[in-house]
Amino acid sequence: MDPQSQTGTPDPLVVTGTGHSLSGRDATSGSGDVTPWIKSRKTLKFMGKQDKLAVQAAGLALQTARVDETVLKRRTGLYVAVGFIPFEKEDIDPLAENSSDQGRFSMELFSTKAMPQVNPLLTFRCLSNMPAFHVSINFGMQGPYFVTYPGAGQFYVALQEAEDALSRGDIDVALVGAVADQDNFLVKYHLNRLGSLCFENPRDAAAFLVLEKRSPAVARGVTPVAEWNHLDASYQAPDLLSRIPRPSETLTFNREPLPLHQDGFLGPAAFAYWLDQLHTQKRRGELLHEIGTFDGIHAASAWRLL
Amino acid sequence: MSRGTTRRVVVTGMGVVSPLGHDPATLADNLLAGRSGASRITVFDSAQLPTRIAAEVKDFASPFDLPDRKIRFGLAAARSALSAANRHGAPLGEFYPADRRRLSFGIGLELFSMPDMILHQQGKNGRTSMTFLQTPSDLGIHLIGRELQATQPPLTHVSACAASTDAVGAAMRLIRSGRCDCALAGGTDSMINPMGVGGFCSLRALTTRNDAPEKASRPFDRDRDGFLLGEGAGALVLESEESAQKRGAKILAEVVGFGNSFDAYGISEPHPEAEGALLAMQRAVEDAGIAPEDVVHVNAHGTSTPKNDPVETLAIRKLFGAHADRVTVNATKSMIGHLISASGAVEIVSLIACAGRGYVHPTVNLDHPDPRCDLDYVRERKRGTAGGYFLKNSFAFGGQNASLVLKTGAAYA
Repeated sequence: MDPQSQTGTPDPLVVTGTGHSLSGRDATSGSGDVTPWIKSRKTLKFMGKQDKLAVQAAGLALQTARVDETVLKRRTGLYVAVGFIPFEKEDIDPLAENSSDQGRFSMELFSTKAMPQVNPLLTFRCLSNMPAFHVSINFGMQGPYFVTYPGAGQFYVALQEAEDALSRGDIDVALVGAVADQDNFLVKYHLNRLGSLCFENPRDAAAFLVLEKRSPAVARGVTPVAEWNHLDASYQAPDLLSRIPRPSETLTFNREPLPLHQDGFLGPAAFAYWLDQLHTQKRRGELLHEIGTFDGIHAASAWRLL
Repeated sequence: MSRGTTRRVVVTGMGVVSPLGHDPATLADNLLAGRSGASRITVFDSAQLPTRIAAEVKDFASPFDLPDRKIRFGLAAARSALSAANRHGAPLGEFYPADRRRLSFGIGLELFSMPDMILHQQGKNGRTSMTFLQTPSDLGIHLIGRELQATQPPLTHVSACAASTDAVGAAMRLIRSGRCDCALAGGTDSMINPMGVGGFCSLRALTTRNDAPEKASRPFDRDRDGFLLGEGAGALVLESEESAQKRGAKILAEVVGFGNSFDAYGISEPHPEAEGALLAMQRAVEDAGIAPEDVVHVNAHGTSTPKNDPVETLAIRKLFGAHADRVTVNATKSMIGHLISASGAVEIVSLIACAGRGYVHPTVNLDHPDPRCDLDYVRERKRGTAGGYFLKNSFAFGGQNASLVLKTGAAYA
């Protein structure tokens, strides 16, 4: 599929903004200080790690693209793939300990001792739809959305949904990205179960792209970062109960392979992270990304960095 | 919003697993009779939790040996929907190439099992690596994907209570825009487990009317005190009208419009001026290419929570203006509870199944309407309908709102 080809219009889709956020070692962003992007301070207490990462990355992407507030409110859609649910060990451990009677689960203890001590905000900080909530409220977005889960294949499905919405004219701008809190005991469990591919070094990561048609972007004085040339996706439903497909991922820039996971395994955020990195380094050329996921999705995309 | 092409999208098969029956006809029978699926929780010992009632799926013999209830429900509903669609005309799998079929499904949380978690703390991983933590939810999507044998990636929706209405809407748009010709859409969920019920209790979101389960869910009533948790799955086969006719399918309804939106307001409370809910409904009606005055009935999100019901009423009033008094409104959750990620799909199945018989079902327990809830709710008993355009709402924690416009009624039966 060539983006926009279904409408026959010659107006290609371009990336006009990029942003990423990594927890830990990344000096340029990090998950520590989300406050510059917070519009509603009362939501801070509800924010989990993945929510903060998403807000930071989205904020950086929207800032680069200089999306007008009016467009942001009603004419911008949010398309986001979120990783496995990262319940925090420090929240879960007391729950398990207070529910345990000589090493066995006790429903009575769970009800009378463990649950009354649970912070009711626990759930909110981990839910898959919460990064979308925090992005929407902090950037005042009331547009359409697609929130999906849990891996790199779904990032491509989000990209397709964004492209469809732009083609239909439902929106003028799409904020497309992924976020995954992966340095987490539950998520690591799932990743380990799913096999290899740098899963031993998972990073918490979020990355977003601002996608729009070239003509209106240029008309509002924004210089496109990259042009989206091609996307191809296919799927073979796996029987995950018996055999998990071996994942693969490659990224080449001007035909040279890039060290995709040198900064750790970034999960669904990897591609948007790299596009942001290359843009920041002012690199120009052809970017090709190809994945085969544990859940049977194969996708390849081609981009031209401008 | 604009319609990308003129392809019409129709429903040709439905499947359901619900607290009131595991096929659309039984579910419709029970809903039209005003029966409640609520009872004391039996799937685990809830004796010392504040809420001890729910609308459980009962008498469900799963052909699938899987630990996770929602995955079992989803598979059964999907298989039923495909089987129903195949009852008329050429088999879907033969008529449509694999790359013209698509899956779009809403799915609930991957909650962990507390006994497994305690074992994990002791360095043991539960029964098997797959059952530990009740399995990630996306496993269910791929098992359903195997039923459909599609070769395009599935759309997995995790927009919580809006997820399966989003799933049906997204599937409709894929077909309408020509991206595929046939889709299996729906949703599945079960949060009737210690973590699910305990978590909602912590949030004080659930009804605590434990002594009268069948009276507990009372959308729009002044004495409502929270939602009743339900569980189940709903699935619909959608096709382009043209190809459905060529296939010889029986058409049950048409999906004509879809819209979704963010409130951008509160994490657990709706926008007080109903901005997001109104936007979703407006977008769905506009997408359908109809005027608000063309809508004859609204199947509300209607959770029976103090905050949702008046705000949804306000949104309906704002959308329809004077026409609001001519639109009937009902809430399926009054009888089957809130099925979270599956709620939209099961309620859409309910709507189509009841309308196919010429009725809309009642909203039970609406004994004393909240003064802020002043619409023409279908109360006490079913009401006849000539069919037409029906609007379906689903709103989620986190301010995600989805609305769908369907054209249905006895004319399709």
